[in-house]
Amino acid sequence: MTQAATNNPGTSTSDLMVEMRGVNKWYGDFHVLRDIYLEVKRGERIVICGPSGSGKSTMIRCINHLEEHQKGEIVVGGVPLTQDVKRIEQIRRSVGMVFQHFNLFPHLTVLENCCIAPMWVQKKPRKEAEAMAMQYLERVRIAEQAKKYPGQLSGGQQQRVAIARSLCMHPDVMLFDEPTSALDPEMIKEVLDVMVELAEEGMTMLCVTHEMGFAKTVADRVIFMDQGQIIEENAPEPFFNNPQSERTQLFLSQILGH
Amino acid sequence: MIHNRTMIEPKPAPSSSVGPVAWLRSNLFNGPINTIFTLIGLYILYLLVVPTVQWAFINADWVGTTRDDCSREGACWVFINARFTQFIYGLYPRSEIWRANIVFAGFFTLIAWLAIPRLPFKHWVAVFALVGFPVIAYVLLHGGYFDLPRVPTHRWGGLMLTLLLATVGMVGALPIGIVLALGRRSNMPIVKSFCVIFIEFWRGVPLITVLFMASVMLPLFLPSDMSVDRLVRALIGLTLFQSAYMAEVIRGGLQAIPKGQEEAAAALGMTYWKRMGLIILPQALKMMIPGIVNTFISLFKDTTLVMIIGLFDLLGIVQAALADSRWLGFSLEGYVFAAFMFWIFCFSMSRYSQYLERKLHTGHKR
Repeated sequence: MTQAATNNPGTSTSDLMVEMRGVNKWYGDFHVLRDIYLEVKRGERIVICGPSGSGKSTMIRCINHLEEHQKGEIVVGGVPLTQDVKRIEQIRRSVGMVFQHFNLFPHLTVLENCCIAPMWVQKKPRKEAEAMAMQYLERVRIAEQAKKYPGQLSGGQQQRVAIARSLCMHPDVMLFDEPTSALDPEMIKEVLDVMVELAEEGMTMLCVTHEMGFAKTVADRVIFMDQGQIIEENAPEPFFNNPQSERTQLFLSQILGH
Repeated sequence: MIHNRTMIEPKPAPSSSVGPVAWLRSNLFNGPINTIFTLIGLYILYLLVVPTVQWAFINADWVGTTRDDCSREGACWVFINARFTQFIYGLYPRSEIWRANIVFAGFFTLIAWLAIPRLPFKHWVAVFALVGFPVIAYVLLHGGYFDLPRVPTHRWGGLMLTLLLATVGMVGALPIGIVLALGRRSNMPIVKSFCVIFIEFWRGVPLITVLFMASVMLPLFLPSDMSVDRLVRALIGLTLFQSAYMAEVIRGGLQAIPKGQEEAAAALGMTYWKRMGLIILPQALKMMIPGIVNTFISLFKDTTLVMIIGLFDLLGIVQAALADSRWLGFSLEGYVFAAFMFWIFCFSMSRYSQYLERKLHTGHKR
């Protein structure tokens, strides 16, 4: 798995951004995550796939403590994740997250959505925060909608705003939780294009998605999960052309076959 | 197959479908049954409205000083005129009424300033209304400072007292209600239990009991040399009682906000209070406007219950005036006047809340 990362010219630094060591999580009696070991280097792009209920979303939500793990260790950017609220907030400031249902703040304009965290969490002056927000909105090609409210935008536009909102905090890692699953087919591309650009700029990304085209284009590693475990982990080419496990083969035949 | 048809220019609708006549026809007379209902409705309205107008306006007496000035064919508004000062200020000394008038003027000016969107410096005015104005109002009404003679609270009354109780109740109950609602949703067991017990206790007892306890039982538990003003006790009881109701209204609104909102705010590194203050509460409060105003209106009317602990609010003072032997027999006028005053305030609140809802709704429908 390290070969995949070093093969890619974009990822030369060797420091670890995310480490998960023996992470376990239960919902009541239900064992959702079982002994997860995962290391993500700075600049690495990882795509996580698997059947629904396999724990992919739960796994990345543990990284910024939206879900609590009960056993094992998670270290983000060198900071171990503990119960300490200050520590959790510190980690969250350096980890961006994009949700399946965008979760934009409907009572704020697009621009305010992007400015609110830089202004209130990082204490940036309004002017500076707005200038930066406009920059990112331009990068996701939606600057002309800055004064509108999220409810006035299409799903694809909202998701691009959500990406810009995360980027405004200058995160070291971006987590994507099925960012295109709630979108109409014609809008998926506009979001994926933005994500590909982000990947090409060297952003560290963990992306839960079923967009296998995206995985082939940008991923350094593809991870297949089932029943709360990492079943297979490989560079995209061998992963798609020569999957090792039976379950991976079955899964791939189902989602690529239709 | 049809293609390349010439476009049809827009034309005005036929005159039979627009205008007042068409409205009448389609809404009131669009069939035999509806026509019968309309006619019966109009007849009932006629039976009710004509005598009311005759009693309240046409046959009513407006000027005079004693009951002999009333012909008794219609309403005797002379009674209201003669007692008007008392209805507004209670037993507040006549010579000091200018102080109450300054407070009234300040109160209505501040409300108008905050309610009219065009006026500037909203933040500073709001801060002044919540911090500076209560102090000024207290100094003016109560006196004892700057050579102003003291006017003890048992002489306050009438509309002044009603507005005081209602305003303090509303301004106090909203923030306490927000804190209680947040506490009830908290993960911290002690905070949560405290809030649940508090809310359930206050919601479970009638307001009359609360006021009785505040006036009769509280002094039993306090050291004998310590006495709390009766009005203050009523205010505290009323505020805590209403904050429990407010908490449940607000909790309902908080629950309607999707979980993703808090997750998104948390993922941006916001602390609990920022998530609540910047993301959750602004959305929830907007949705809760009807519920909050409903609570405010019922609070406003509940203030009449302070009568039973010997405070003379608007209704209490009207009732006291009815017992005056010089003015026996005018209870209808007295109650109509009291009802009308309450209605004006409650209706204004209701209209303002509808206006607020419309205003906040624009722009971001979900």
